[in-house]
Amino acid sequence: MGKKKSAILITLLTLVIAALCFICTVSFSYGTDGMYTFNSILRTTAKDADLGGIYGANGYKGGGISVTYYPEGVITAKEYTDNIGAYADETEREEYENSYVPYLGGTLYLDKEDVCGNGTEPTEEFKTAFENTLQILQDRYALLKKDGAELAVKDDYTVRVFLPQMMDASLVAFTVNSYTGDFSVRYGSDAATAPEILPALRKKTIDDYFKRAYSRTSADGTSYVALQFTKEGKEVLAEETQNANTMYFMVGENQVIPLTISEAVDTDVLYISGSYTPETAAIYANVINTVMKSPDAENTLALTVGDSLKYEALYGNGTLTALYAAYGVCFAAMMAFFFVRYRKLGFVHLYTYLIFTFIMILCVYGISFLYLSLETFLAFLLVSLLLSVSNVITFEYAKKEYANGKTMTSSVKEGYKKSFWHVFDLHIVIAVLSFIVYGIGLSNLSLFAFILGLGTIFSGLACLGLNRLTWAAMMSFTPKKGAFCNFKREEVEDDD
Amino acid sequence: MTKRPVKLLPIWIAVSSVIILAGIILFALLGFNYSAERNARKTVEVEYDVVVVTDPTGVAMLKETCEDVFKKTGVSYSDFSQTVKIDASTGSETVGGKLVYTFSANLSDESLAAVKAGIDTKIIERTAEGILPVGADISVSVHELANYHFTDAAWRGAIAVAVGAVVALVYIAIRFGVGCALTGLTVCVHDVFLSLGLLAILRIPVYFFAPIVVGAVAAFMSLLLWLIQCMKMRDNFKSPSYASYSADEAVEQSSKSAAKAVYITAAAMGIVLAVFTIALAIASAQLGAILLPLVCLIPVGISVYSSLLFGPALHVPVKTAFDKIKFKHKRRLGKAKAEKKKEEN
Repeated sequence: MGKKKSAILITLLTLVIAALCFICTVSFSYGTDGMYTFNSILRTTAKDADLGGIYGANGYKGGGISVTYYPEGVITAKEYTDNIGAYADETEREEYENSYVPYLGGTLYLDKEDVCGNGTEPTEEFKTAFENTLQILQDRYALLKKDGAELAVKDDYTVRVFLPQMMDASLVAFTVNSYTGDFSVRYGSDAATAPEILPALRKKTIDDYFKRAYSRTSADGTSYVALQFTKEGKEVLAEETQNANTMYFMVGENQVIPLTISEAVDTDVLYISGSYTPETAAIYANVINTVMKSPDAENTLALTVGDSLKYEALYGNGTLTALYAAYGVCFAAMMAFFFVRYRKLGFVHLYTYLIFTFIMILCVYGISFLYLSLETFLAFLLVSLLLSVSNVITFEYAKKEYANGKTMTSSVKEGYKKSFWHVFDLHIVIAVLSFIVYGIGLSNLSLFAFILGLGTIFSGLACLGLNRLTWAAMMSFTPKKGAFCNFKREEVEDDD
Repeated sequence: MTKRPVKLLPIWIAVSSVIILAGIILFALLGFNYSAERNARKTVEVEYDVVVVTDPTGVAMLKETCEDVFKKTGVSYSDFSQTVKIDASTGSETVGGKLVYTFSANLSDESLAAVKAGIDTKIIERTAEGILPVGADISVSVHELANYHFTDAAWRGAIAVAVGAVVALVYIAIRFGVGCALTGLTVCVHDVFLSLGLLAILRIPVYFFAPIVVGAVAAFMSLLLWLIQCMKMRDNFKSPSYASYSADEAVEQSSKSAAKAVYITAAAMGIVLAVFTIALAIASAQLGAILLPLVCLIPVGISVYSSLLFGPALHVPVKTAFDKIKFKHKRRLGKAKAEKKKEEN
């Protein structure tokens, strides 16, 4: 490569790296009293709930939201005390006091009649209904497939659920997932008074009419809840929905989806759009599915959602800073190795590595399902290692060729030729493994595998393409090419 | 005279079998140590209202009050969260919150009741002293929690790693021969089981998903290091100097020449995990978070052992068998060719 071309290329690469570095990492405030803020890509990248750190202009610090579900007839000690305090009439107060039984030393108060059957302990009937309700909640939250989601039984008869902050629809999930009871369809002008057209009208079960519910998002971004009917379901609906009115899809006494119709519903799959996002559409579909598939849906308890509480990040607010510091240490160690072993050839690796890094940051920012987490970070460190190892392999092959007396150009060419299949094999095996794990795995493992696979592809391209180009461009400036790369000729002993 | 490592296959098998068997027995009896997960736990929750929030020192004083009682009653919590109440429909913060102190499930109900009573009393005292704001609504409650695990991610992760490893080994079979792939498969399975066995034996407290992470790292490292061995073997076996070696000598020599690359790769991986651990240790008090990358050092170490000792020793009989098949095949082809020539003449 000529000196002029090399100079232009190096200048361009330097400018690109500087611009990417600025966009990706620098955040600052400007304007009067720092009114406006320029947020770096790293700052605005979505982050896992476990990591503390600033996210965007809102100062997001990770963590998540938790609520507690209280079955009907179960209240907290605070609610019990507050309610007693509200009674001015002594007799009424006493009556209220006698209607509840303390449980677990007064942590909870149970309705004496509904929960304890006028005894002091919960009845078997209540226990079974609670188990059924718990199972439905477990199924619903498992179907969210959210990394960091937690479900715990609290004080035997309440359920605490935690969802990560990065889940946009967590509040919707808390509310909609609390709906219990049978699935039915009502048809009329008001959900409370409308007659049930499915399944009560025909005295059959809901399975006779519905196959399943699922969510879809179209190319224009509209999300739908899709309800798939059986042949019988389709016929009944077509028959029952002749007049313009509203269909109410109900779970127990809760209205899940209202649908205003102007003509008879005569379709196998009903796509219902509204103000759904992909997340909320999936939540509504899951609620309907879990009720339909549960044989005990009718024997469940109505749930009240307690206070929503915002929790801080699991690993503390400084985790992200600590991880950046860890990256800094690894980066410094890597560059020290390259500069010590290969002198100025270290700059070739530096340029390649920086461009690789910024591309990875842009991918994590730009690909909607990716976010910064411990798994993402670890996967990135591993692909950084892969790129470094690949560059070392090519450098070492070229070094060997140079030592055997070849010219530098010829050594580089031969080095790349000899190392090509090693680098290729290394990358292909890791990429195949990663993308298969991504395809089958769930949540954090899937995320880790995707970053590993994506990084492996970029690492291969960077090592075999960009690295070679930068090497050729940088080396054209120096007459002492061997010294530039710290490559030495093999000493040949004289026989004399 | 010391025996060469490639000749010690029975010993490597014995060592691995003992560890794996011990691991299986311990796993069957006790399972993995999931204590980092906080499966079962007890909590003390102190709920407060707007009066405490608006008081400049309200929340800090309430925390101090709780800490004093914990010290006095001699109990210590494993985790603390200061939560904020939010509006259930808009998600915006409202005034009020909860201090949540997490304790071990082993803490007795009596101790917990004493803590609750202590905090209740102290709050009354401090309100009377004017340290806590007058008119504040503060309530203390104790709770027991038992976590439910979403197992989908764990079993699908295990299937994903297994399928991925098999496909990667198919690629190894195409590029380096079926013999290398078979040894690789055995080494990979061995490393995964040995790593999980050690995890069960050492009883390291981990999160619920840790075994799948350890298994995945074991499979990944095992494949990576075996791949390095395969590359070296292919390069070396082409060299004329290897032509005179027997199968065990050839594998041994090649393994020795690959040792440097194996050590460097494993050391680099070890450094990454160590730095990661240090970063998490600085940022977090969560035991599981700190121990997870450290636990991953187990499969890294095991894959080095497998790649340099167990794998090469195992590959000797495999190579011998495949060389024999190759030789027979060649001889059959040669004979067929000679017969064909004879017929033509």
